[in-house]
Amino acid sequence: MGMFKRLWRRRLDGELSDGDLHQAALAGSGEAMAALYRRHGGLVYRFTLQMSRNDAVAEEITQEVFLALLTQIDRFDAARGELSTWLCGIARHQLWKHLQRSEVASAFDEENAAELEFSGDGPAELLLRREAVAAVRAGMDELPATLREVVILCSLEEMSYEQAAQVLSVPVGTVRSRLHRAKARLAGLLRGEVGSMRRKPR
Amino acid sequence: MTTDRELDEILAEIGREHRAIDAPKTLEAALHAEAGRRKDSIGARKLRLRWTSAVAAILLAAIATSGAIWQLRNAHKHQYRHVRSVSTPQAMPEQPLASAQIAARNNAAATASARTRSAGTDRPRFHEASTNRATGNSLDEFVPLPVSEGLPPAAELSVVRIKLRGSDLRQYGLEAPADAVAQTMLAEFVVGEDGLPRAIRIVR
Repeated sequence: MGMFKRLWRRRLDGELSDGDLHQAALAGSGEAMAALYRRHGGLVYRFTLQMSRNDAVAEEITQEVFLALLTQIDRFDAARGELSTWLCGIARHQLWKHLQRSEVASAFDEENAAELEFSGDGPAELLLRREAVAAVRAGMDELPATLREVVILCSLEEMSYEQAAQVLSVPVGTVRSRLHRAKARLAGLLRGEVGSMRRKPR
Repeated sequence: MTTDRELDEILAEIGREHRAIDAPKTLEAALHAEAGRRKDSIGARKLRLRWTSAVAAILLAAIATSGAIWQLRNAHKHQYRHVRSVSTPQAMPEQPLASAQIAARNNAAATASARTRSAGTDRPRFHEASTNRATGNSLDEFVPLPVSEGLPPAAELSVVRIKLRGSDLRQYGLEAPADAVAQTMLAEFVVGEDGLPRAIRIVR
């Protein structure tokens, strides 16, 4: 990649606002579109992947979401919220359509889980911790979609309640109560899991 | 309480791992290409729009031109249309009027002229003619033109229908009422073989 191209890409990635990039993409700038994707693609992809548990579905929805940037230009209003939350909202809409079509309660693929980096305690504690993490993951998959998406947005993506509320098109209070309910379920699950693990003979 | 804290820690850990996932690179290239295609389609659409505008402008110009030509021709027709009837606007003989008719016309013109003179006015007003028409005396008939007084009786008469303004009547020795000065009207002139008008009738 040439120096100018690198500089241009750095400018696109860092200096220009979402609105500027969006306008440039609408005018046909592939570079601007790619920059928007680099900026927000991860969030959209992760959210859809976490919700669908399916690489292909996540990829397809992510592409649809970014194409919507080109085709549904009038639907994005910068005054009403950030582009990232708007994109996530579109992704959620597509995802719900997909979930309603397939009605698949996908299970977490244990093989795809990366090794946890946990430092501090001995092997027994590490094993216990891994079991607990796996239990929470499994528990998240068991959660109803409305609770799961709140956990993904607030706990995993570290979005504020306001941002999550924009994505989900619900009041902030609803986000707060859903997160509370989701965490209570996961904590219950964790209590049972850890308790049984601790009761196991070592 | 410990479990809640543990849960938060676990969620934070899952979150760190979760946020390390990147969007697939393959999509970046696809979206780049899609935006480029859009640019092409925008260009093509603009070109199509330009062509459509140009064709529409040409069509409009053609319609406007033909309309103007049609109007000019129509106006020309109305201005100098020979009517093929003497007594009514509908029909007028191709050949000159019969001598008996000419005599009758001349008599009518002379009588009307005398009547106008006896009324004490040299320039009869158009509304008088209208009044006469209302009483059944005039505008169906021709009113002799004051300017034709003293002209020799014509041997051959023809009727010419002309579109004119009320104010134009002045040059024939007639005066239109104030509200009719600016109005356009259709009039029939009895013209002698010498080309001089002898009488007038307002058609509408």
